[in-house]
Amino acid sequence: MSPMLTIAKREFRSNFDSPLAYVVICLSFFALGLMFFMLQGGFWQADRSSVERLFEYAPMGLSFLVVPVVTMRLVAEERRSGTLEMLITLPVSDSDVVLGKFFGALGLVLVLVLATLLYPFGMFKWPWVLGPLDMGPVASGYLGLILFSAAATSIGLLVSSLAESQAVAFFITFFVLAALWFFDNAAQYLSAGGNGGWFPTVLLYMSFQTRLSGFWRGLVDTRDILFFVSVTLLCLLVAFRALERRKWA
Amino acid sequence: MATDVMIEASGLTKRFGGVRALDKVSFEVRRGEVVGFLGPNGAGKSTTMRILTCFISPTTGSAKVSGHDVFDSPLEVRRAIGYLPQRAPLYTDMSVYDYLRFVAEIRGLDESAFKSRLKKVVEVCGLAQSLGKDIGTLSHGYRQRVGLGQALIHDPPILILDEPTSDLDPNEKAEVLRYIKQIGKDRTILLSTHNLAEVEEACARAIIVSKGRVVADGALDDIRGKTGRVRYVVAIDEKRAEAGNSAPSAEAARTALERIDGARSVKELPTDESLHKFELIGPQNSDLRADIFRLVVAKGWTLLELRRDAQSLDAVFRDLTRGDEKLDRGAGWKASEPEDDEDDDDSTSDEDDDDDSDEASDNHSSARKA
Repeated sequence: MSPMLTIAKREFRSNFDSPLAYVVICLSFFALGLMFFMLQGGFWQADRSSVERLFEYAPMGLSFLVVPVVTMRLVAEERRSGTLEMLITLPVSDSDVVLGKFFGALGLVLVLVLATLLYPFGMFKWPWVLGPLDMGPVASGYLGLILFSAAATSIGLLVSSLAESQAVAFFITFFVLAALWFFDNAAQYLSAGGNGGWFPTVLLYMSFQTRLSGFWRGLVDTRDILFFVSVTLLCLLVAFRALERRKWA
Repeated sequence: MATDVMIEASGLTKRFGGVRALDKVSFEVRRGEVVGFLGPNGAGKSTTMRILTCFISPTTGSAKVSGHDVFDSPLEVRRAIGYLPQRAPLYTDMSVYDYLRFVAEIRGLDESAFKSRLKKVVEVCGLAQSLGKDIGTLSHGYRQRVGLGQALIHDPPILILDEPTSDLDPNEKAEVLRYIKQIGKDRTILLSTHNLAEVEEACARAIIVSKGRVVADGALDDIRGKTGRVRYVVAIDEKRAEAGNSAPSAEAARTALERIDGARSVKELPTDESLHKFELIGPQNSDLRADIFRLVVAKGWTLLELRRDAQSLDAVFRDLTRGDEKLDRGAGWKASEPEDDEDDDDSTSDEDDDDDSDEASDNHSSARKA
């Protein structure tokens, strides 16, 4: 097994050695359920056989709770406790460490994401069949969610590799992801009078919400895919540099 | 490998911002050597080791481990070494077995190799009872053992151990040292410590660093002789004397000893027996014992003890690294500040210090060649 996979496996498993992962999983599912069935009239009021609400709310749960919690300790905690030195002085390259940690954390996030398959399948396939569900948007919605998870996790990893402590990493990741999510609303607010200029356009361009909304409706745009993939790669690259920085500091 | 040099550091300099943590550190460690890396806290021991394990890069200078450059091929370097960082930082949420397995997996050991190595490591490090326990629940001593275990799991030709015996109780210390001596027969070991007794027990050679510089490097005996003086202990009975002579007073004995050619700084040592005990310092490469004996006989006193020590490593260490301590206590600030931008060798600029340290740095260049 390559060192990268070994690190990823350890990282993934270490989540379950502390109660934190379980608490986060429970909380996020509880919150998702509340939002899905209750918020703004809820699923039943909408009265359509669609799980679009799921794709709308799941990224918020990931942004505001799951990703910051899962990624905060990745590097910050290891640096503080000194285990980073132990890890890096094993025969692993820095990119193994960054990618291993990324995939370890992404693994947990994806377990959560895939667990939400319970919604479309439980309600529209078995045991309940509430109506004919169009599987196209469901598939594209999950594709968007997975791409979004990768981007968000890489941002969290980057912040963690720069932050002094995991608490700092948590808050910064939280704010960055929240900002990227609400850029959409900010853009709408700024351009409300029709004279926003270029700034709202840029915000809209960067907004995770705008980028994801196509996927919810079954629209797979290569520009959106490229956007999330680029964000992921860029953050991983910077995280790699941040880790290398120790050599010269 | 053609060469016998397993670790080679040449001109390592490391700056952290404006602070120079290492200043042109050069040394070599050959196959089969167990070398003690000594120095006060903050002298640059850990920094040097981190450079050798490719955790950080030197500002200037280069190092080779097992023939591989630390800058160009860090993975080869790390494969060849087992490294125990200071305080053995381990994943506290893993069990000992899982941790060793994790390290073995990263090091590419297959299942059967891991099993056989694990058996050996468990035996050597005394981990049989704690294999299933979480590292977080172990005492510091046991964590240190696990750290040592992970450094040994792949049977490396080179071991770099940063204070391997800190946090251990005396029994464990002795055990670890015994083991280091044993495995050191066919391996290269660089071990840092500030405990001199450990070096004397486990190592044949020592490198002493102070303020980021190598101030001594050589066989322990050479280093002991480095400050250029030999210590004698003389004990004379304070009651009895040969017929016709009076028993000596402390003052008389001291004056007589001071008159011996070459003897200096005669000092009375405290004792609770009825004798006068003196310590005197003589020049290196000479033996004053005969003179002392003759003196005592001539005076008709009774000699109870006469001993010649090459200076203890402890004293050499204190001598060579004295500047550090003074800086920490705020003395010698002015004296050492301009030192940052020059490179002359006698940086130990202590006003009241005699010429010992200069002699020492002269000696060490010769010892390094030896």
